[in-house]
Order: sequence, then C-alpha cells, then structure tokens
Amino acid sequence: MAKQDSLQGSLPLMVLKILGRRGPLHGYGVTAQIESMSKDVLRVEEGSLYPALHRMEEAGWIKARWVTTENKRRARLYEITAAGRKQLDEEEVRWKLVTAAVGQVLQRA
Amino acid sequence: MSWLSRLRNAANSARLDRELREEMESHIENRAEALMGAGMSPEDAAREARKRMGNELLYRESSREARLFPWLESLLQDVRFGSRMLRKSAGIAMAAVLALGLAIGACTAAFSLIDTLLLRPLPVVHPERLVSLSYPSVMAGRPDGDSFSYPVFDRFRNASASVADLFATNYGPGIQAASFGGGEEEKARICWISGEAFGALDVPPALGRTLDAEDSKRRNPVAVLGYSFWQSRFGASPDVLGRWMTWNGRRFQIVGVAQKGFYGLDPGFLTDIWLPIEHLVRDAKDLANPEVYFAGVWGKLKPGAMPDRLRQVLQPVFAASRMERRRSFEHDGIPQGEMPRILNAQLKVESSANGHANIVRLQFRRPLWILGIVAGLVLLIACSNLANLFVARAEAREREMAMRAAVGAGRARLVQQMIVECGLIAAAACVVGLAFAQAAAPTLVDRLMPSTMPAYLDLQLNARVFLFVALAGLAATLLFGAIPALRASSVSPDAALKSGGRSSVRTRALRPLIAAQVGFSFVVLFVSGLLLVSFRNLMNVDLGFTKQGVILLGLDGTRLSDAASNRIAILATLDSIRRQPGVQAASMSNIELVAGPFAPLMRPFVRMPGQAGAGQGPLYLRVAPGFFDTMQIRMLSGRDFAAADLAADAPSVIVNQAFARKYFPNGNPLGQRFERGDDVGWAPQQIVGVVADAKYNSLRETPSPTVYEPLRYVGGARLAVRTAENPAAIGPLLRQAVAEANPAVRVSMMELESKKIENGILPERLLAMLAGFFVLVAAVLAAVGLYGVLSYLVVRQTREIGIRMALGAQRGTVARMVLTDMALMIALGSALGLAAGLALARYVESMLFEVKPSDWTSAALPLAALVAIAAMAALGPLARALRVDPGTALRCE
Repeated sequence: MAKQDSLQGSLPLMVLKILGRRGPLHGYGVTAQIESMSKDVLRVEEGSLYPALHRMEEAGWIKARWVTTENKRRARLYEITAAGRKQLDEEEVRWKLVTAAVGQVLQRA
Repeated sequence: MSWLSRLRNAANSARLDRELREEMESHIENRAEALMGAGMSPEDAAREARKRMGNELLYRESSREARLFPWLESLLQDVRFGSRMLRKSAGIAMAAVLALGLAIGACTAAFSLIDTLLLRPLPVVHPERLVSLSYPSVMAGRPDGDSFSYPVFDRFRNASASVADLFATNYGPGIQAASFGGGEEEKARICWISGEAFGALDVPPALGRTLDAEDSKRRNPVAVLGYSFWQSRFGASPDVLGRWMTWNGRRFQIVGVAQKGFYGLDPGFLTDIWLPIEHLVRDAKDLANPEVYFAGVWGKLKPGAMPDRLRQVLQPVFAASRMERRRSFEHDGIPQGEMPRILNAQLKVESSANGHANIVRLQFRRPLWILGIVAGLVLLIACSNLANLFVARAEAREREMAMRAAVGAGRARLVQQMIVECGLIAAAACVVGLAFAQAAAPTLVDRLMPSTMPAYLDLQLNARVFLFVALAGLAATLLFGAIPALRASSVSPDAALKSGGRSSVRTRALRPLIAAQVGFSFVVLFVSGLLLVSFRNLMNVDLGFTKQGVILLGLDGTRLSDAASNRIAILATLDSIRRQPGVQAASMSNIELVAGPFAPLMRPFVRMPGQAGAGQGPLYLRVAPGFFDTMQIRMLSGRDFAAADLAADAPSVIVNQAFARKYFPNGNPLGQRFERGDDVGWAPQQIVGVVADAKYNSLRETPSPTVYEPLRYVGGARLAVRTAENPAAIGPLLRQAVAEANPAVRVSMMELESKKIENGILPERLLAMLAGFFVLVAAVLAAVGLYGVLSYLVVRQTREIGIRMALGAQRGTVARMVLTDMALMIALGSALGLAAGLALARYVESMLFEVKPSDWTSAALPLAALVAIAAMAALGPLARALRVDPGTALRCE
C-alpha cells in the first residue's frame, strides 16, 4: 500500500481525470475508480480524499450538488467544471513532463 | 463557489459540519456494502470500512478548513490591503469617514429620538395588549377628549371585567411641589394612578410594595416612588419605606419603589412619585361627581381579547353617561342642533403599546420625522459624494486592477476587494456616527421641552440603535461602493495595460452621480430654507402686543371664597404691584396671551340682536383693568375697564377690531349690546371699548373676534407686569408684594412672556436649528464633492485641452468645455431636486408659516446657493484647465 505522501499532488490530477471521463461521481465512486484502475496499488486512507475534493471545489475546478440516489440515500455528486478541465490539461502535461524527466534520470543515472 | 455561498458557509458552519459528516458516513456505508458483497460478515465489513476511512474527524476538520478558510483568508487579505490603500491616501479617507460619519450620526440621532419617543413599546410585559380610551369632543372641531369622570371610569371597570383590566391615570402637567419628612418643598413629577394599574401592567416593586386595588378603594394615603427618583433623591436607601411625604397639605406614607426602568405611561417624562388617583380631587364628594373630569382610562386586554370587543362592551356605558349629562350640555349653551352628534358619539379604544400620546409626542411627531428625512437626504448626499470619489479613485487604480485581473483575480474577487475598502470606510464612519449621535441626541432632547419642564428619554445605546447603525453602514457601503466596485472590476486586463492606464475616457458614469448629489443637496437646501424662513417669520410676526419686558406670575387664589374678597384681592394686588419701583404697568388675565396650542380656549356662544345663530362664537379673555396698557395693545376707541366693572352685574366688555368687523361691519360697536351663554343662562354684554387685534392663542392664527370681559375671580390667573428691570432681581420683590397685598393669594410660578412664546414654538425652533445645521453640512458636502469631480475631470482631460489649445482654441472654448457638463448636471439635478422637494414640502407644510413652497423665491434661494457653491468649487479646477500648457500636456503622454 502506497503511502499517502507519495500521492500528494497526483490525487487532484487523478480525481479530475476520473471526473472528466466518467462524469458526476460521489466520493466513494471516485475511490472505487482509483482502486480498480490502479489495480489496488494506489490505496489511500479513504478519508483523505475529502479534504482534497473540498479544496478543489473551493478552487472552482469541480462543483458539487446533493442528489437522492435510487436507494433513497443522499449523495454528494462531484462534477468537473470548465476551469477544472483547463487545470486538468495543464496538470496532465506537467505530470507527463515530470514523469518523463524522472524516467530519463532513472534510466541514465 | 460563489461569494454568497461562502458567506453562507461561514454563517452556518453547523450545517456545513452536518453535510461533511453525512457525506463521509455514506462513503463508509457504500464501502461496507461492497465488502459484504465480497463475502465479509456485516460486523467485519463495518469495522473494515471504518478502518479504511482513516481518521474521520481529522479529515472532516481539514475539509471544513478547506471550505471556510480561503474566503476568510481572502477577506482578511482584502482588509489588510484595503487599509493599506486607505492609509496611503489618509487625507481623503479621513474626509470620507468624517463626512459619512456625520451623516450616519445625524440619521442615528434622529432615529434614536424617533424610536424612544414614538416607536419603542412601554417597558412593561405585553405592551401590545395596552389600550386607552378617548372620545370626540363635545365642541365641534376640537381635539378628541381623553378624560372621564370617576363614576364613569367605575362603571367602565365593572362592565369590562371579563375583557380587560381597566385602570385610571391622570394626564396632568405632573410637576408638583412635594416635601419629605417635613422638609423644604421640592419639585417632583407626580402621577396619579388607580391602584389596579401596577397589577394590570405587571410592574413589580423593587422595594416594599406597589399600589393595589385596596389603596384605591379605601383612599389610602400611600405613595410609591419611581426607581430613579429613589436613587437620586434617597440614595437608594431602604429606610425610605414608612417615611412620609406631603403634597398640597396632605400626607402620604411611602410604601414602596417601582421596578427599575418603569418610567410611567408617558414617553418623554420620568415619573417620580405615584399616588392613588382618588387623591387628585379635594374630597370624596368629587369622586362621585360626574362633572369632574380627571381620569384617563387605560386597560390591559385579557389574552386573546380584541380592542373592538372592549369598545362594544363600553359603548353603551359611554352613551348612557352622555345622555345623563344632556341637561348640563344645554346649560353650557350648546345648541339643540349639535345634540345628536354629541349624544351619538362613539367611544374610541386605541392601542397604547408605545405609551400615552402626550404633548411632546403630538408636537414632535412630524418635526422628528422631517428631521429623519432630512438626515437621510444628507446621508444620500454623503454617499453620492463618496461614490464620486471612489469612481475617480477606481479610474486612477485601473492599472492596479488590470494587473490583478491579469494575474488571475476573478471579477468577483475584485468587487469583493473594492467593497471591503468601502466597508472599512463605512465601519469607521459608523463609529464616528455613533459617537456623534451619542453627543447630539441629548442636546436635541433638551430642546424638546422648556428648561423648566425637561423631557426625559432613555437614550442609552441599545440593540435597536446598534442595529440601525449597522444597517445604515451597510446601506451606505452598497450605495457608494457598488458603482465604483462594478466599474473597477469590469476592466479588461489587456486594454488597460496596453494603453498605459489611460483607457477610454469613462467620465460619463460620473454624470448621474453629480446630478444625484446636486438633486439631494437641492432638496435639503429647499426644505431647510422653508423651515428657516418660516421660523424667522414666526419670530417676527406682529403679535399686536409687545412681548418683551413682561413678567408673568401665576397666581393661586382658589382659597378666596366669595366675589367680594376676590374683587378686593385683585385690586389690592394690582395696587401693591404697581407701587413697586421699576414697575411700569401691571394687570391680570385668566390666561396669558399666546399660551400655546394646548391651553384651554374660552369660546362661549353669543346672541347678537337681530342676527340669527351666528355660528362659532368669539373667543373670550378675562382681564383686569390696565391689561391693554400693560401688554401695549392699542386702545382704538372707548375706555378701559375700571374698578366698577368688576361688579358681578356690570355688563361692560371690550372687543377687538376683528369682532367689530364681523358683528358690526357698518356701525360703531361702542355702546352696542349682545348676550353670551354661560352655565346659568344668557348674560347681557355691553361694549365699552374697542382695541386693536392681538394674537390670542397661537402665533399662527389670524386674530379672530375676541371679547375681553372683566376678571372677577383670581383663580389661577396670570399677573402680567411690565418692567425694564432684570426679572431675576425684581422677581422676589413682586412675590413679596403679592403676599403683602393678600395672604390668601399665592404665587405658583414666574416666567417671561417672551420666553413663554418661544416655548410655544419649540418644535419650529428645533427644526430651524437643525435645518441651519443641515444646510451647512449639505453645502460643504456639495462643494467638496463638486470640487473633487471637477478636478478629476480636468486632470483626465488635460491632454484634450492641450491639443485644443495647440490648435488655437480660445480660453472661452476651454472653459465652456470644462463647465458645460457640470452646468447641465446642476440644471438636471436641481430640476429633480425641485420635484422631490415640492413632494416633500407637502409633508412639511403644516410646520410652515407665511412661506409657500410653490413661491418662486422658495426655489430660487437654494438654486442660487447651489450655483454659488458650484462656482466656488469650479474656480480652482477651471484655473488649472486654463493654465494647461499645450507643450507639457502633449509631452507627458
């Protein structure tokens, strides 16, 4: 199980990407997506997702609304905004550059 | 997330917390279900789900911070940045704070007065259930009556027991001489009230007991003190219980002190002592007399009872009481035609939640609202002034704004920052305003009543005043902050940065602001001008007599019994007074001239020979010989009263010109006879003299037909003494002379006729004083505002002016270019102001005297003043515009 710290910075990127692809999801949905797609490699303390979500909401990258699900439960659904998509594009480019650069260093060192 | 929802989050963090909790709980449930789906037992699944969640509390806390912090932080940042910006232009900021503070202060002072005197409910439990009774006056056209005889009150009380708790109180002047434990007489405000009152009002004692029904029933000689009187006079000593006080020769034992904060039923007055109302009359016989009116009737409705129900219950009792008095109405000379109106009169039951509608409140209701409106206008002037200023500053800071927009500040963020800056100014202004109001309001209260009868208003800072100030500050912020904020935030980063901070000339937005400012100023100048002119007219009005140099002494001769001793007392007193050194003339009248709007009028019916029912009768005044000489009313023909006219059967009367004009338009009134109605029938009158017209009761009246008849009883007459001496020096000598002439006649008070007249126009005086103040404030604000805007416009147009001058424009052209806009805006503003002013003047009209809002002079004066102010304000900027050197102006671009 990866340490929480190693995910710092990458968590918002993943959340934005998932929300951008899969449309509105609640917090558990996002966690489940990360887990299943990373084949359980990236498992975080699930609660840590929430401060991240709220910070991103505050920054205007995602927006949230309360809905009632089919089993009559209230859920808070998150959705990516236009600003969020812009941010996602920038972050993705940056991430790729950084990982590529790190890869280069690891290869050549 | 919007600015507003952040505010909501901050205001409602409990809700935010609940939502966070709910969100995380639902996550745990989802996870547990998934684990159970994978074959885990429910208990294990629940434990595992919670474990995977981690430290829920910690995450919730940091989510909360994420939601609240950025906004608080940005707000703090804006506050810090705003105060730095304001410190950078400290002079302007100070001026803005002062101007706005003054305006907010004026509004607050007006509000706290209006609130305390007119709006705030009485300090008792359930004031909304209090009602008081009144009825249409027997005399047509007179104000409603609100005093009943004790038997009628008693019957009311019995009839209404299931609907309301009724009690009686007196509406007298209240200030009385009382002494404690045989000491010196001192002034105290006494309220006579029936014993049930304290129970009905639910006012508990602070010490001892209050009055109760038993005290009323048995006429117990007991007294209850007001809390503040107990504190100031007796140092809050508990020993006061059981002590004796004396009023009017009767002794009362102090049995208690009323609850703190209960001042009585009269806002504006502080009751010192409560006595059972049954002691207001001389003896028990008067309590049973239906002709003796002294009881104002109040009630507290039972829970759920409506005022109208009480009225239904009491109306039959009231109608019966009027029917019983029919004979005495006829005696008073009331014509038969009037009887149906009098006998069918409807009793009125009105809510008295905010206290007795007493003299102060009736007199000052309109003046205080006018004051409030004018103060509000001044606040609007200050706001438009500040809006101008901030628009100009926003222009100057366009680059800064553009820069901030360029580095990613959203429009909302820029608006927030400008609003915060404005809010800082407004907040400081609120503090200044509160301080100003705290200082000004008591000064205003001192002007409400004559200094001999000070008004009491609890003006301590309270939640209502704070709320008002906060709302005023908020309204001001939005008023003067909104336009500049929106304009500043609408900068497009590239445009502003490219053109080096001098974007398109956006001076157009200033125009409506200038017009608004001029308009508001015009209204203030217009209305204030009307009030000032009106007050001057009142002060200079021709009274028909000379008010200066007349000392009035109130006499009490009620101990003189028969006609002969009264006649002797009158003549002896006048003789004794006239012999005093320094006395030029002296006389008496049953009431002084121009005694004020609430003095009783004597207007009996008269029968003229050969004239059918003459309608409203003339006014009557009883005067002693020498009255016209003393008051310097011109004697036109005939003679003054002589000692012989004081005989009971002498028909001699003297009339004024208005009387002669009305009743004897063609003939000589001298020697003519007519009849007047009184309690016992018709009495013959013969005219022995005619005098010039003089004001009888009010400064505003046109002298109406007046008959002067001889004063035959001292009663509560006024002794008028004309002297050039200092009143303070000669006063004691006069008192002594009265006492020497007849020991049965007492001097109850002394004042100057001129002072008395001034006291009658206190509302007008207060308004005029404040009008003068507001004229100054409005003029200064207008001048500063216009100067600021013009200077700014000239700076903005320097380049254009330079080009024009380089191309050969004359100075006249430049001046026209600078001034045309301004002149147009002043014209537009004045026109709007005039329209608003005329609308407002209709509300003010009843306060005006011999000045018409529609007169052209009424509008010309404020217009001239505004033009003068504008001219002064324009002088500096214009000179600068004319000095523009084309070369420098173009080079600096």
